[in-house]
Amino acid sequence: MILNPFIKPRFNGTQMVMIDVIIALLPLVFVGWLAYGGVLIQLIGIAVLSALLADFLFSSLLLKRFTSVLDGSAIVTALLLVFTVSPITPWYVVAFGAFSAILFGKVLWGGLGKNRFNPALVGREFMSVFFASIMTSPNIWKFKDLIQTPNSNFFKGLEDGFLSDYFSSVLFQTKGAMGEYSIVCIALGGLYLLLRNRISWHIPFSLLATFTLLNWLVGDIGLSYSMGGILLGTIFMATDMPSSPTTKNGKIYYGLMIGVATFAFLKGGIRYEYMSYSILLMNGFSDQVSLVFKPNAWGVVGDWKGRLEAVFMLSLKIGCAILAVLSLYYYDLIHFLVFIYIVYVVLKFNYSFSNKVNNVV
Amino acid sequence: MLLISSLKKKTKLIAIASLDSPKDFYIPLEGYRYSMGLVVEVGTHLKKYELVAESEGVFPCKIHAPVSGVVKGIVSIDGRSMLHIENDFKETALPLSPLDLRELSLSGLTDHLLDRGVQGAGGSQFPTHLKYQVEGKRIDTLIFNGVECEPFLSADFVLMKERYLELFRMAMLLASVLMVNRVVFAIEKQHKELRNVLLKCASGLGMELEVRLVPNSYPQGGELQLIESVTSMKIRKGFIPSDYGVLVTNIGTLWAMYNAVFEGKPYIERVVTVSGNSCSNLGNFLVRIGTPVAHVLNQTKNSCDLSSQTVVIGGAMMGKAVDSLDSPIHKGAGGILVLKKNRVLVNNCIKCGLCVDVCPQHLMPLEFVRHNIANNIEGLDSFNLQDCIECGACAYVCPSDVPLMENIFEGKSKLF
Repeated sequence: MILNPFIKPRFNGTQMVMIDVIIALLPLVFVGWLAYGGVLIQLIGIAVLSALLADFLFSSLLLKRFTSVLDGSAIVTALLLVFTVSPITPWYVVAFGAFSAILFGKVLWGGLGKNRFNPALVGREFMSVFFASIMTSPNIWKFKDLIQTPNSNFFKGLEDGFLSDYFSSVLFQTKGAMGEYSIVCIALGGLYLLLRNRISWHIPFSLLATFTLLNWLVGDIGLSYSMGGILLGTIFMATDMPSSPTTKNGKIYYGLMIGVATFAFLKGGIRYEYMSYSILLMNGFSDQVSLVFKPNAWGVVGDWKGRLEAVFMLSLKIGCAILAVLSLYYYDLIHFLVFIYIVYVVLKFNYSFSNKVNNVV
Repeated sequence: MLLISSLKKKTKLIAIASLDSPKDFYIPLEGYRYSMGLVVEVGTHLKKYELVAESEGVFPCKIHAPVSGVVKGIVSIDGRSMLHIENDFKETALPLSPLDLRELSLSGLTDHLLDRGVQGAGGSQFPTHLKYQVEGKRIDTLIFNGVECEPFLSADFVLMKERYLELFRMAMLLASVLMVNRVVFAIEKQHKELRNVLLKCASGLGMELEVRLVPNSYPQGGELQLIESVTSMKIRKGFIPSDYGVLVTNIGTLWAMYNAVFEGKPYIERVVTVSGNSCSNLGNFLVRIGTPVAHVLNQTKNSCDLSSQTVVIGGAMMGKAVDSLDSPIHKGAGGILVLKKNRVLVNNCIKCGLCVDVCPQHLMPLEFVRHNIANNIEGLDSFNLQDCIECGACAYVCPSDVPLMENIFEGKSKLF
């Protein structure tokens, strides 16, 4: 029996969603290639291969899904992962990161769509924990001699020196992780995803607005952050479909809280991973956010007092979680979170997820 | 808000044409919620317009013979029982008796509508006389629903374009019986050329008419959504619009009412759009209730192959696919569509939230799937499954082809 509807929009499969994200990331690949040439392409190749291998291996073994490697999500994860690391990260670390991103970030949850955390960021945290000496040494961000296209002033024609500097730095700046070089290219990708309706404006808007507002309110006292990094996280990671809320108001709240968390982490002295931590933290709450912001059915008068209370309680919880992460960071215990995560997801897979592999939700 | 390319341009300019009547008619014996019982015996010779079956109870319905012929018996097509009538091509008809308009009362009108078997032509086939049993209620707004938000269908549009005089006479009658001041014809923005035609004709008749253009979105033609667009009142599903002073009537129903009241004709024929993305000869046709789909497709010189195509009775979003081409046109069928088979690739839900975005009832369709799979009836209830209008918008946009409708129907059967 075939059920309604009998028509579907064209170019609308899961695969198409992934292809669109890959297209949106292409400008960044190009900029990375400008900066480092072959090095970046090598790293991307290694990450993609490792992710695809992990996806094929474990989806077949654990989920009995032999074709899920074709959905393209592994490529997206690998690309995003590469964009969050330094270009001089050793290849085996990147390969390990991509491998664990797929295994622990996706397959053990039951496959694409069921993961509660963004796989690329999970992979990144695994790298930081298991290769701590490499990933957290200050040397990892010293790669001046590798750069093929140096920062240059593309707007020499402009009279105003400050403006032309600013424009150039927005267009191309070899600082930080590989996806952070060009704010323009990130924004371009974001625009493409918005136009294709693969992301909605809610999360990026509320995230950036909150972050800017907090910066402005508190007064920027020497907070050092990378706008490129924040934008990359905002557009490509915070909007990741499986790990973000499904309702519109929920998305606004979710973006808002990521903005708050990012700001708090920056203020608390987390140097590099403020964005990853805040997104991962809110990933954990995204189901609750969806439910708290459940829309009122047509014609139903909502209980706004009850909702307000629920929002308040949720905000309290998230606030506590932010403080907890800050304290763990302060005492250098963040890696225990990753160990707990591993135990949790493995146990959960054994006793629960593996029985529900064939459920679509 | 969901926009679906309407694809009506293909058929909306084609005038209504008639078809030869087929040899075999299969009269659906499903009324509204209850099935109908035969009032004629097998083997009798029927005259056209003769009552053949009726149901009683809370939702009484009647259905009449669309031709003269012999009752052959009850057959089952697609799992539904149908009355098989063999056409004798003589068209011997019962005399028609229009309603006496001199001493018209509301109850007289509703009795007449029941007697002529008028049911909603928009799809649900709700008995029209029940909708108009509004004694003691104050009706402020009469909305005539010309919003065919389903893609492909243009049956209501051509009716408004070609038969507006009939429609207006019936609308004026209803307005005077119900003592309503505000009469609204709602049409989609894509048909805005119709607005001036309707307004001009209405002013010629001395009728106060409001033509409301509503967005081209889906499902704008849903009763509750249309009421909100016209009166900005949000009525919850399950509540009765006439309690809020609003009555919504589909254009096809209005035309059936005209035929019943002014000509005395029972509801035995309707306008049907033949279209689809895999259909070669398109058009709008006057088709009798009970005509098999195969006959309509033959007459319009369309060929179809059920192994590679889907044939749908109704609209592409809410209609029913047929397993057998003998399936007949029923009172709520606005179209016959020949469509390419959908390629369905069920993947995991990726929680993109598109279904939540497009749901006209502001529900969370993905949660229905989750709770239906888990057999959690309380969960289904707490996400307001009973408010779902089954419009199919969620399943349309879903990139993972999650079987949303299947789970919604299954979940609803667990709820009630």
